[in-house]
Amino acid sequence: MIRNIKKLLWNMNEKHKQIQKNLQEPKSESSLHLSYHQNIEALRSVYNNCSDVIFREFLLLGKKKAMIIYMEGLSDTMGIEKHVLSPLMQETKNESLTVNEMIEHKLIISNWNSVYSLPECIESISSGNPILLCEGENVGFSLGLSKWEKRSIEEPEAEVSIRGPREGFIESIRVNISLLRRIIKSPALKIKTMKIGTYTQTTIALAYVEGIADKTLIEEVTNRLNRINIDGILDSEYIEEMIEDNPYSPFPQILSTERPDIACANLLEGRLVILVEGSPFTLIAPISFFSLLQAQEDYYQRFMISTFIRWLRYVFLGVSLLLPSFYVAVTTFHQEMVPSALLLSIAAAREFVPFPAIIEVLLMEITFEALREAGVRLPRQVGAAVSIVGALVIGQAAVQAGLVSAPMVIVVAITGIASFMIPRYVAGIAIRLIRFPIIFLAGTLGLLGIMLGILAIVIHLCSLRSFGEPYLAPLAPLKTKELKDMLWRSPLWMMDTRPHLTGEANLYKQTSDQKPGPNKGGD
Amino acid sequence: MPKRRSHFIKKFLIFISFIGSIFLLSGCWDRWETNDIAIVTATAIDKKGDNQIELSLQIFIPKAFGMSSSPSGGAGGGAVKELTFVISQKGVNMADALSKLQAELPRKIFWGQCKVFIFGEKIAKEGIQDHLDFLLRHPQPRERAYMFVSKGKAKHILELQSRLERSSAETMRELVDLEIGLKVTLKDLNEMLTSEAQAAALPYLKTMTEKGKKKSFQFPKIFGSAVIKKDQMVGYISQRETRGILWIRDEIKSYTVTFEPEEKKGNISLNPVTAKVDLIPQINGVNWSMLVKIQTEGTVIQNNSSLDTSNLSNLKVVEKAFQDGIRKRVEFVIEKVQNELRADILGFAKEFHREYPKQWRKVENRWDEVFPKVKIKYDIKAHIRKEGYINKPMKFRIEEEKE
Repeated sequence: MIRNIKKLLWNMNEKHKQIQKNLQEPKSESSLHLSYHQNIEALRSVYNNCSDVIFREFLLLGKKKAMIIYMEGLSDTMGIEKHVLSPLMQETKNESLTVNEMIEHKLIISNWNSVYSLPECIESISSGNPILLCEGENVGFSLGLSKWEKRSIEEPEAEVSIRGPREGFIESIRVNISLLRRIIKSPALKIKTMKIGTYTQTTIALAYVEGIADKTLIEEVTNRLNRINIDGILDSEYIEEMIEDNPYSPFPQILSTERPDIACANLLEGRLVILVEGSPFTLIAPISFFSLLQAQEDYYQRFMISTFIRWLRYVFLGVSLLLPSFYVAVTTFHQEMVPSALLLSIAAAREFVPFPAIIEVLLMEITFEALREAGVRLPRQVGAAVSIVGALVIGQAAVQAGLVSAPMVIVVAITGIASFMIPRYVAGIAIRLIRFPIIFLAGTLGLLGIMLGILAIVIHLCSLRSFGEPYLAPLAPLKTKELKDMLWRSPLWMMDTRPHLTGEANLYKQTSDQKPGPNKGGD
Repeated sequence: MPKRRSHFIKKFLIFISFIGSIFLLSGCWDRWETNDIAIVTATAIDKKGDNQIELSLQIFIPKAFGMSSSPSGGAGGGAVKELTFVISQKGVNMADALSKLQAELPRKIFWGQCKVFIFGEKIAKEGIQDHLDFLLRHPQPRERAYMFVSKGKAKHILELQSRLERSSAETMRELVDLEIGLKVTLKDLNEMLTSEAQAAALPYLKTMTEKGKKKSFQFPKIFGSAVIKKDQMVGYISQRETRGILWIRDEIKSYTVTFEPEEKKGNISLNPVTAKVDLIPQINGVNWSMLVKIQTEGTVIQNNSSLDTSNLSNLKVVEKAFQDGIRKRVEFVIEKVQNELRADILGFAKEFHREYPKQWRKVENRWDEVFPKVKIKYDIKAHIRKEGYINKPMKFRIEEEKE
């Protein structure tokens, strides 16, 4: 059997090589010709059967032939008419300017540059910038007149907050970068861009704060990004999967967020932010496990409340991971551990249930997961129906019919709520996924099985790295100073240092001794 | 690339087969669903004929509990359905009787929640060590289960119904938890019987009958303590005497001392707030003596004597009376334990052993003879810290007006 699989894999590999060959399109390094017609023909043949590309020919100042080429919908047609065509088409008599001078004097466009090769022209056109080609010139002009329809900036739906900024990233990378720049105005915020995706040519931007972020880290991320060779990038998840450290882990090693404030907070702690054109989710790396359990709101509330909520989160993390398996283990293996009165109630409720506890749990958990998934995917109008089915049929009717016991419904419901306590959706899913093997272990080995499961998870978490940073930092390896932002949330005036692993280069972020109070003076 | 991948697939297949084997091989040997176990709530051990015992189990009926608790249960709310039933079987010893019981029950007997063990008086008088051996050796019975001795047949107590609690077992457990009387667990009993004194006291249960209009109602009540010496029950002390034991053992928690001050009519009731008890052994040549040192503070909760406690000299009188009251209680029980029962349930042996290990070794084997001869000295300090009520008692004012 293993041999067969090997054969299959070998075949797959051969195919893979072929595909790679196909992906590497022959890039014509042909520079622009002096012959105007040849250039136009070349472009026309490239854009054969592309009805959305517009070739507009006109007479440059009534003398030379010129052509402006742009994509409909990606460029500002009004702008082209007003700022390009109308000044350039006016006939003048005695002026004898070179083309370059003409462009400089006549065009009312702030952002333009010269292009010298055909691929450059194509790239410019496909990103929305019109190309101007003139007779007798082997230079084209790329005009910064791109403009397309985009979503306006809204509050991110997946990461709502009661207090704090309400802006969220959108699909346009330019707007997203501007959102970062609006928060971090220092020129130390650097943004490197690159294009990934043979066909999509997606713009990827790597943002970091110079002087805080580790240089080797920047290099590593850049290298990993450059290694990607793929036909298209449709969302930042594509990037995440291609650059993470351990692809076989259920835990996300890169944080994704829709909120510029979270991105900036991480930038200031020395982390890197990767923005992807077409995705409102930006990536943050490196992260630790506890980053997944922190919400932006933690820093916009009084520290005591944040600490309390953080602890609540830790408790419910345990609940969402272990409650169903604990229930199974205790009711089928360790009945003596349950307080008498509770055991009697459970025994009474379970009396007529036809399934063993483990089957009961799996049945309910899987149903719950299905309900959740259905609720997410369904159109809103049908959503109500799902919740009715969920609440009435599965909750009440199943208990009344004696198929499942009422305590089990409570356990599953609490577990469900607990898994939504985790602020990062991706982390919540990971925990929910791990729950199932632990339920199996609990059903076969009891509490011993649960302990084995926990051990396996802890060992896995300890071995995980996110861009070299230990995943359980600052707990393992223990950095007592950094527990200030993990076990509890210290008041802002006490958090003087950046996290040691990412902000080592520039450790102090503020002057210490800023405890507020009356009679503090102020020279 | 292909090598690495196939390596991973191989590892993955091995992993999956290991995980799979967990489900197939482990066999879940001690897995019991809650509807496959018979939850024992209380156990009674009685003597049956010659050399045989009768083991009775009170078993919880989950079906009945579900019916009575759910509103749509259809029980009608009228008659309270019994939540437990009693099943019994005789045998040569406990293990034997238990195996016979298991043959009668469709579910596996589960001891993990049994918190009450009752010995019948007859079997207690013969010796309980053989039965304790089973309870301590078997992995399931709790070491923290409460132990009792019952007057008459123990099985009868299991058959009683409870008006307030789910079962008579729970009634007894809650009674003990209140700490008005003795609180002895299986572990305590074992420790006491194997300690230097080799004596123990267990709560003594009696069935009381309350005559109602239609039918009488029977309920269990703790009625003093049974005194066990070297695994046999040798006697019984009353509830009042048990209080004295609690004083000496420093286990007194919440109860009321009522006494009559000298030369005055009426009673005063106190609630002790704190009590500190020290047993100080002393050896003077051949004279062994024990100093019982009690320091206590109390709060007046009722005063129907003619004494005004707000007056300092009166308060001294009351304090004196309080002291005498405690002394009387303690003296009374020590007298009985030393001379009548000759069983050291007060833990004197341990104190002597600790303080005078050399002398102790000499009397170790004849402690029974030495114990009654130990002289008792008392040093009791009782104070009243709170009068509870700042006004003069009504009675006192009425008398004042008369004069």
